[in-house]
Amino acid sequence: MNLPRALRVLRFPRLQLQRHALRTALALGGIAVAMLLWTIIRSAELGVALATERGASDTKLVVYRQNRYCPFASQLPQHYAESIERIPGVRSVSPVKIVVSNCRASLDVLTFRGVLPEWIDAELLPGVEMLQGSADEWRSRGDAALVGEELAARRRLRAGDTFRSAGVTVVVAGIFSSDDPQDRNSAFVHLPFLQEQAKRGGSGGIVTQFTVTVDDPSKLESVATAIDERFASDSHPTSTAPEKSFVANAAKDVVQLAGFASWVALAALAAVFALVANALALAMQARVRETAVLEVLGFTGSLVAWMTVAEGLALALVGGAIGAVAAWTGLWVLRPAFSAEGAVIEILPSASVLLAGLAASAVIGVAAALVPALRAARLGTAQALRAG
Amino acid sequence: MPLVEARGLTRTYRKGEQEIRPLDGLDLDIDAGRFVALMGPSGSGKSTLLNLLAGIDRPTAGSLVVDGVDLAALSRRELAEWRSRKVSIVFQLYNLVPVLTAYENVELPLLLHDLPRRERHARVVRALERAHIAHRHDHMPRQLSGGEEQRVAIARAIVTEPALLLADEPTGDLDRSSAESILDLLSSLHRDEGRTIVMVTHDPRAAERAQATLHLEKGRVAETIARTGAKESSRAPANTEAHA
Ligand SMILES: Nc1ncnc2c1ncn2[C@@H]1O[C@H](COP(=O)(O)OP(=O)(O)O)[C@@H](O)[C@H]1O
Ligand SMILES: [Mg+2]
Repeated sequence: MNLPRALRVLRFPRLQLQRHALRTALALGGIAVAMLLWTIIRSAELGVALATERGASDTKLVVYRQNRYCPFASQLPQHYAESIERIPGVRSVSPVKIVVSNCRASLDVLTFRGVLPEWIDAELLPGVEMLQGSADEWRSRGDAALVGEELAARRRLRAGDTFRSAGVTVVVAGIFSSDDPQDRNSAFVHLPFLQEQAKRGGSGGIVTQFTVTVDDPSKLESVATAIDERFASDSHPTSTAPEKSFVANAAKDVVQLAGFASWVALAALAAVFALVANALALAMQARVRETAVLEVLGFTGSLVAWMTVAEGLALALVGGAIGAVAAWTGLWVLRPAFSAEGAVIEILPSASVLLAGLAASAVIGVAAALVPALRAARLGTAQALRAG
Repeated sequence: MPLVEARGLTRTYRKGEQEIRPLDGLDLDIDAGRFVALMGPSGSGKSTLLNLLAGIDRPTAGSLVVDGVDLAALSRRELAEWRSRKVSIVFQLYNLVPVLTAYENVELPLLLHDLPRRERHARVVRALERAHIAHRHDHMPRQLSGGEEQRVAIARAIVTEPALLLADEPTGDLDRSSAESILDLLSSLHRDEGRTIVMVTHDPRAAERAQATLHLEKGRVAETIARTGAKESSRAPANTEAHA
């Protein structure tokens, strides 16, 4: 294999693509749309995985009212916190009132979490980084909110802004970044303030759920069982689950949708294959004579095959890059997230999805080019030129 | 030793039950530096012979040695390599690549040669100038007349400095004056640069430009007319070896 020659002859497929500009643009457009779709779906799947797949080090439980789904319908007495705290294995417990702008599965939901200052200090602040404002500012104002960066980006919020949603008006005291998708998509406010402002879902003494942190990740299940047993015969029985199982359950519809969308993603890859194969098959058909001329000039069959594969690779890679980068940029700017029943699933722009998309495009481009390439390489020269 | 040496050259094609034998035990010698015309009725095997000489088709039987190389012994890949260095062919219908400019068409065969970019450019320019078509170097084939396209095709054929230049009815699709000027170009390539040219033609006036005319009939050389400066000619009886 003569490498300089193999690179030199790439001028031919390059000029073919450039000079058949319309055909190339149409193929690239189709491939780009398919890879845009693929990238968005894969990003959503990644978001589902991050929000719902439990890690070995997860320590958070959510205590909810049994058989209730919307945050407004889950009402638990705040004093349960004291009983929960006494259960062995529990490190901390925090009553939380949740108010959402929309309970059903939808995009762009605003989630308020009313919590106590002790929980902010003990559980939130150690794991986050303040990007704007401060926790002191939050403590000093009753109507203050600490806003997660994803929510802030989506709503274009900055420290000092006042905003109103679901009948609640708050001032942004700080914006923080966090590894937890639920936290970074929520606005944390003072519990009494939220109980006062949002009468719906129960006012004083009533909360939506408890967030419990356990000492030992391996005891997550047993602590959950102990909590539910403790209130089983109470007037407000509970249902306790690891936070990620809770999200998976709350956002069932979205998770199912993402599962179905995997097939759409697969279909998008099939579409890329079909688009490249079709573009090349048509091109090679129109180019039978030119290919014969190449062979007369001394181009070997393998060189012709290589040029065809390179053309397919270029189409798939450039089209795929346009689609994947467009999707990535769109996700980066818009930061979409699904919410359902107060649980959030983000659609994240991710470098790994972007790279996987480019790699998939490249592999598909080469695969789709193989048949047209082998055909072109096998062409009988004299015959082809005589036929014209 | 002659540049081209064919012995018992045979090519058969199968068309269903029927077997066609356009070349049937043809013997032929062509010395280097000669300009030979190849004539004969339609279907007499002229193109078949030219394609064998060009290494784009293979004999069914017999031997064909060009420039000391037995073409029948070469693999497909070796034959392609050989074509890119030793032989060029010009067709009746030019066969330029439509999406490439005249310059790019002429450059195409040189992409196979390991030459510095500068040298490649110099050779393309020289070939275009030699074919008197340098002024149209950035034109697409569809912007050129037939005669101009054929000039580009000839530039593409000579840019690799082949030992053997073949032409299959190169003026067959051209008007009288374009044809004349293409023949002038081929004659001067022979006269001034000593190129060996084998040209298929139907036109006796075109054949007159050559030093010798071979008549093909029934798959063999039926007659050889050699022409020296004056119009003296010699006739060789059929079934003997033709020497041009
Ligand atoms: N690929 C082929 N398959 C079958 N028959 C062919 C093929 N090529 C040429 N022939 C036949 O061989 C004979 C000679 O063809 P050709 O060499 O093109 O004649 P010429 O150029 O002298 O007119 C013709 O009868 C033609 O039909
Ligand atoms: Mg012919």
